[in-house]
Amino acid sequence: MKKVTFQGGVHPNDQKQFSRDIPFTVYEPKGDMVYPVSQHIGAPAVPVVKKGDEVLAGQIIAEAGGFVSANIISSCSGKVKAIEKRMVATGTKVQSIVIENDGEFRTIEGIGTEVDYKTLTKEEILAKIKDAGIVGLGGAGFPTHVKLAPKNADAIEYVIANGAECEPYITCDDQLMRGCADELVTGMEIMLSLFPNAEGVVIIEENKPEAIAAMEKACEGHPRVKVLPVQTKYPQGGERSCITVVTGKHLKLGMLPADLGCVVDNVATIYAIYEAVCKSTPLMVKGLTVSGDAVKHPSNFKVRIGTSCAELVEAAGGIKDCVELKKAISGGPMMGFAMANLDVPVQKSNNAITLLGSDAVETAQTQMTACLRCGRCNDACSLGLVPQMMAQAAERKDYDRFENKLYGMECVACGSCTFICPAKRPLMQIFKQTKAEIMAAKRAAQAAKK
Amino acid sequence: MAKLLNVSSSPHVRSSLTTHKIMYQVILSLMPVTIMGIINYGMGALSVILAAVISAVVAEAAFNAIIKKTQTIADGSAALTGLLLALVLPPELPLYIPILGSVFAIVVVKGFFGGLGRNFMNPALAARCFLLISYGAIMTVYKIDGVATATPLVDMAAGETVNLMSLFIGSASGVIGSSVLGLLIGAVMMFAFKVITYEIPVATLVSFTLFMAIFGGQGFDIQALLVHIMGGGILLGAFFMATDYVTSPVTPTGQLVFGAVVGILCGLFRVLGSAADSVSYGIIIANMLVPIIEEYTIPVAYGHRKQKEAAEKTGFSIPKPAITLCVITLIAGAALSGIYAMTKDTIAAAQLAKEQESYKAVCSEAAEFVSDDAIDAKIAELAGGVYGTDFGKAYINKVMVGKNAAGETVGYVISATSGDGFDGDIVMSIGLDLNGVVTGIEFTTISETAGMGMLVKEAAFKDQFVGADVDSFVLNKAGGSTEPEQIDSVSGASISSGAVTNAVNAARDFFAANMK
Repeated sequence: MKKVTFQGGVHPNDQKQFSRDIPFTVYEPKGDMVYPVSQHIGAPAVPVVKKGDEVLAGQIIAEAGGFVSANIISSCSGKVKAIEKRMVATGTKVQSIVIENDGEFRTIEGIGTEVDYKTLTKEEILAKIKDAGIVGLGGAGFPTHVKLAPKNADAIEYVIANGAECEPYITCDDQLMRGCADELVTGMEIMLSLFPNAEGVVIIEENKPEAIAAMEKACEGHPRVKVLPVQTKYPQGGERSCITVVTGKHLKLGMLPADLGCVVDNVATIYAIYEAVCKSTPLMVKGLTVSGDAVKHPSNFKVRIGTSCAELVEAAGGIKDCVELKKAISGGPMMGFAMANLDVPVQKSNNAITLLGSDAVETAQTQMTACLRCGRCNDACSLGLVPQMMAQAAERKDYDRFENKLYGMECVACGSCTFICPAKRPLMQIFKQTKAEIMAAKRAAQAAKK
Repeated sequence: MAKLLNVSSSPHVRSSLTTHKIMYQVILSLMPVTIMGIINYGMGALSVILAAVISAVVAEAAFNAIIKKTQTIADGSAALTGLLLALVLPPELPLYIPILGSVFAIVVVKGFFGGLGRNFMNPALAARCFLLISYGAIMTVYKIDGVATATPLVDMAAGETVNLMSLFIGSASGVIGSSVLGLLIGAVMMFAFKVITYEIPVATLVSFTLFMAIFGGQGFDIQALLVHIMGGGILLGAFFMATDYVTSPVTPTGQLVFGAVVGILCGLFRVLGSAADSVSYGIIIANMLVPIIEEYTIPVAYGHRKQKEAAEKTGFSIPKPAITLCVITLIAGAALSGIYAMTKDTIAAAQLAKEQESYKAVCSEAAEFVSDDAIDAKIAELAGGVYGTDFGKAYINKVMVGKNAAGETVGYVISATSGDGFDGDIVMSIGLDLNGVVTGIEFTTISETAGMGMLVKEAAFKDQFVGADVDSFVLNKAGGSTEPEQIDSVSGASISSGAVTNAVNAARDFFAANMK
């Protein structure tokens, strides 16, 4: 049988063996909780508490600051200690609400109340999702209530649940699908109730047979939802790859998934939708994998958003003896952010902390040679770009060629080209910088016009 | 956590593949053919290989040291270049030839243009061409155990049957890397290592085979096609030379176009030029077209292509590369046929003028040349077959009667061909007086080895025939002849000399039998 997949892509070692069969551990944090007001794409949320206020778990502590924005929910009870700039995983300082955790996790009233979504109108469902502060939990953090309200809901053909989990090491979506398949299917049904003409597709890579089996079982009796097992290949979990395997079509810059009749959400997001709509529980807890070759007990946690990463690493047994921690990554190794230290909070879209005892980038720098023009980067690009030529144009600062002839702005920075390059050239990094320079030049030109 | 951790941009993992790993994979893939070369050709081959590899590495190290560049010999590319060069050299060479070639490849072709990844021509083939031009006499002699032997392609051109098995094993005369068996094992290894993709080798071999079948002159003769594919280095070229990353396009469509161009150029040079050099020149000329090919084959990003419907995906479709390849070959074939048709008349006219000129040169007393019906009838009786039994593969083409201004016959010109040349037919005009004594020889078509067989065109050789009233001429390979019927062979070119002698004897025999 021909395997369902997209063109291009690479096969990094999936490293799932560390944590794939380890069920979720609920971790209750002890230290202060930190809530950056900007954990999503769009306008930062606006704090509605002040220093000294008592807050409960489930309480909105910052409200959406615009149409494309999301609420921030406290995941603990305690006293607001400060509202100040704190370091986040990406290495920048972001305005954050710091809560002194009293360790009791008292919640606001009504949390956990069961609701039948079939009794709710579309507007009520969207309002619940919005109030719950749900954003895309796969990484990008796009506010979900905005995504679920496209201009023409009738034109949506596919609601795609992204359970590909193509990043090496990460296994929390795998565990979620194995353990909460029925809840996920209900979550899909909730989404499908917003799109009358759509069918639901759950994409799962073939390296997760248990998750595929669990989801297929849960889908029985739900004719609108089906499971699509796909070849294990990075970046299958990218939004564009998901749309391509389902529809055979390709997104381009400036298009939204809805333009191709698709809505794509991570399975974790769909679980959050289920919790918000059916259990009246806002987004406070999420799955997160702590893995890597440097950590003592690789684990899958159900963790409260705002928990310090350092605390979580300790909860996973800390760093192995006689291993020096070289790199700590927020997320997986392909697209995650390297953290200078672990003293940063878990945010909504964090799905993993990867702890590595060796730094492949450091090694690669010593192995770098001239480009051989071997063309492996072309084969690896899932968008049909020519990274070899793009890098050449970028090095010459030929931005016109980069943008118009080589479609350079399409690059989604998945890093496949950099991963595969035998000459160890930092291709994706060059493209990221070049794109930033082109955007800056465009903004400057626009400003000059005004 | 006072200590800060490493921070860098993602991705934080890298594939295990490195440049030097690829180089060693290629070197490993070349081992079967290298070993076959040493087995077939012995120590002569081994010493050429060692000389080329060692001098390539030393040249790279020295060049880097002189221009104060980071040392790059560890990446294995210099050793690979040296090995590739050795494989396209004849065995049993004076060792300064491979050394000179390696230095040229590393310093001039690669180093001067910026080192690894910057050269615009395959260094090994550029070096081979450099050596062919500079040391033609040495480079075109293929020895086995110290004896110069004609290569299978030359044998086939001379009409002899070629033993395909000896080609397959590599025991036939040729370059060190000519064992088909070794090359095929190596090619499989290259695919297994994923060093190469199918585009370039398949496109090259398909277009080459099609070209040879259409224009090779032997049609779809399987035996002849197999000799062309197995001999003359097209396999080495298709799998190991044309696939060189640096000098081939990076775009998949570009690779198909490039492969097709390589195949057509190799075919073109093999049909029109000297067989031994066709692949080298075909590939390095195609190398120079790479920037143009790439520029016109930049793929359109998927999102910008016409969107396919999902249903179409599962339907049957001919793979696009196959269509592209066929179209390219058809267009190129049509273009070549077109050019041939357009230039055919011009070439024929030029050939005619050349013939006329040669008549004048060999029979200077005549003012005009006319044909004679009686003689033409005799030629027609030969029906284009080999003339006589004692003259090798000699043919009588036509006879012209030379007349002076008064209309009196003053001599004859016989156009004869010998198929025994070292490299293709030799066509010549032989002037005879009324008694059948040679008055002059001119060549109208000849493509013998420069500096050797071509010397039969020199007066020193030709004039030996003039004025000698003997029954027939005898070739004297030793030289220093004293008798008028003895013809001194051109040194080192007894095949060419013998072919000419046979043709002259055939012409005089025809004269004696039919015209006296």
